Amino acid sequence: MTQPFHGRVATPVVVPTDCWYAVTPSSAIGHELTALRVVGRPVVLFRTSGGEAVALEDRCAHRAYPLSAGTLDGDTIRCGLCGFVYDAGGQCVHVPTQSRVPLGAHVDAYPVRESDGLVWVWFGEPGRARLHRLPELPWLADPAWATVRGEQQVAASFLLLHENFADVTQVPFVAPEISPAVLGSVPPPLQVTVSETTVSLRREFPPARMPAWQSALVGLPDTEEFATVQEGYLLSPAVWVDYWDVQTTPEAWARLRFTQLVTPIDERSSRLLWAVSRDFAVADGSATEELTAMFGNYYARVLVAMETAQGVIDLDGPGREVNVSADVVGLKIREIVEALLVEEGA
Amino acid sequence: MTETPTTLKEYEADLLVESVELAADDVVILTLAHPDGHTLPTWTPGAHIDLVLTDDLVRQYSLCSSPSDSHRLQVGVLRAEDSRGGSTYIHDEVAQGSTVRVRGPRNHFPLVSSPRYLFIAGGIGVTPMLPMIEEAEAVGADWELVYGGRTRASMAFISTLEQYGDKVTLVPRDESQPSLSGRIDTLLGTPRSDTLVYCCGPEALLEAVEAACASWPSGALHVERFHAKAVEGEDTAFEVVLARSGQTITVPPGQSIFHAVEELGIPVLGSCHEGVCGTCETVVLEGDVDHRDVVLSDSEKASNETMMVCVSRCRGDRLVIDL
Repeated sequence: MTQPFHGRVATPVVVPTDCWYAVTPSSAIGHELTALRVVGRPVVLFRTSGGEAVALEDRCAHRAYPLSAGTLDGDTIRCGLCGFVYDAGGQCVHVPTQSRVPLGAHVDAYPVRESDGLVWVWFGEPGRARLHRLPELPWLADPAWATVRGEQQVAASFLLLHENFADVTQVPFVAPEISPAVLGSVPPPLQVTVSETTVSLRREFPPARMPAWQSALVGLPDTEEFATVQEGYLLSPAVWVDYWDVQTTPEAWARLRFTQLVTPIDERSSRLLWAVSRDFAVADGSATEELTAMFGNYYARVLVAMETAQGVIDLDGPGREVNVSADVVGLKIREIVEALLVEEGA
Repeated sequence: MTETPTTLKEYEADLLVESVELAADDVVILTLAHPDGHTLPTWTPGAHIDLVLTDDLVRQYSLCSSPSDSHRLQVGVLRAEDSRGGSTYIHDEVAQGSTVRVRGPRNHFPLVSSPRYLFIAGGIGVTPMLPMIEEAEAVGADWELVYGGRTRASMAFISTLEQYGDKVTLVPRDESQPSLSGRIDTLLGTPRSDTLVYCCGPEALLEAVEAACASWPSGALHVERFHAKAVEGEDTAFEVVLARSGQTITVPPGQSIFHAVEELGIPVLGSCHEGVCGTCETVVLEGDVDHRDVVLSDSEKASNETMMVCVSRCRGDRLVIDL
């Protein structure tokens, strides 16, 4: 006799557009054409001669051809197939075969902002862009912090990634050798705080050993035990941030910030820009290579698990899910995304 | 067995009252900011906050400022003749420099994307519509506001709204023939598929608009009310299966599901405890709900997909809820 199903049917993923997405680091965009697929759209990015980052629809208005396969000439793009020329606002300003530009000869120009070393692009209703704040990530550009970074494409939806970042209990199962010793014992209470558009979590761990890489950098014996405070924040559907702060003395902390910038490529794939920032051993350049490799490896392992999960969904559908109390963070993320989709009229 | 206790709460902070402005007869606008200058949680048009005035006095007020101001929240408060203490407290006890505990924001009155809006406001019900109008303007949507009140002097925000010219129709009762309630049938007589109707104000206005919108497309009308409706019917005892926690409880007459669940230490959010604020909305997996709130629409109630656990009960013997 089969048991009756309980739980809820998960809804298929829809990507919200009324959100600033961190598309690429500022350093990656220069005076040349860069093509990326973002939020279900082909996008071409470049920096004008004045240094301003521009994001346009990567498709000529005339025929099906990517503008990124064309030529950047000053601050205009010339289509590589038909020679239509577009300015930085997406307006066609010249066609080779007649003196007047035809009606409707323009491509979408997406609002762009740069902040904290990142290029943020808005794919929603343009009028709404200025009503939504950019997430603030001050440690990324602050000289008091040292940051290692990486980027990975993953065949998993942005929502799966967020639910993994928000579910602190997955780390010991997915990447046991990198997880702090502190996660191996009984987890402390999970404190969750919500508001209309955000959710955050906090856990306070009793004293335990730091991971060897961290105690070496901090310069403390790896046999000593220190209290840790962990916080996680959904700053927007584009950003999940983790704080891991170790209390080294009654007045001092060794702080880490894990910045996870999740940019949907489409409903079932995403680009993750990750950064791990520390406010200790900031000048220690030799740590950079080691930490980049270590965290790159960690994220690669996490993303493999996410791709496995996405594979289940792709094959057999979203399915029914049974929830536990600790799922309240991931479920609130889904509510926030659904509320955003309602407002977009999606 | 290891247990990870989870506690769940809303953002809560003691905010500084930067100013109290007398905006109209019996209406004050409070401007609130974090005493340490921190940014405040992001919100969208239609959102409201709790002002926790005392342990027993918690009231909901719509945010009337711009969501793009990350450091300030503003609410408009009408001194109500039949105040149960909230608005009287604010008018008499809260001053510039006071501290007020704020909880939220939350939003059960979101502005849904549409090419056209009809905003209908009665008195202090205009407050949530100010950020809605800002957004409608920003996206270039077509919109109209019909705003009624006792007298011009009793109606707040007239000078702010005057900049929008004939998109705004003021209907002070002492100057207008017909009054706002007399115009409802004309305003809403012809249903339109390209228009969303937003209404907030006294109960009589809300009921008149709901009746006039009966033939409009489902989901076209959005209303918000911060006053509970009288509950008819007796309480019965019923069983509640808590799916997430894997427990089953019996809720006796006189106790709410919320309190029964809270007693067990299960994380659940709640605020007004009278079915008005929407904070305790919980997914229903099985069972026929006896809805006693004023948050859900008729079709939402009929679907039995969610319920307000602070007031609503069960029509049968058993509910399964996702807590």
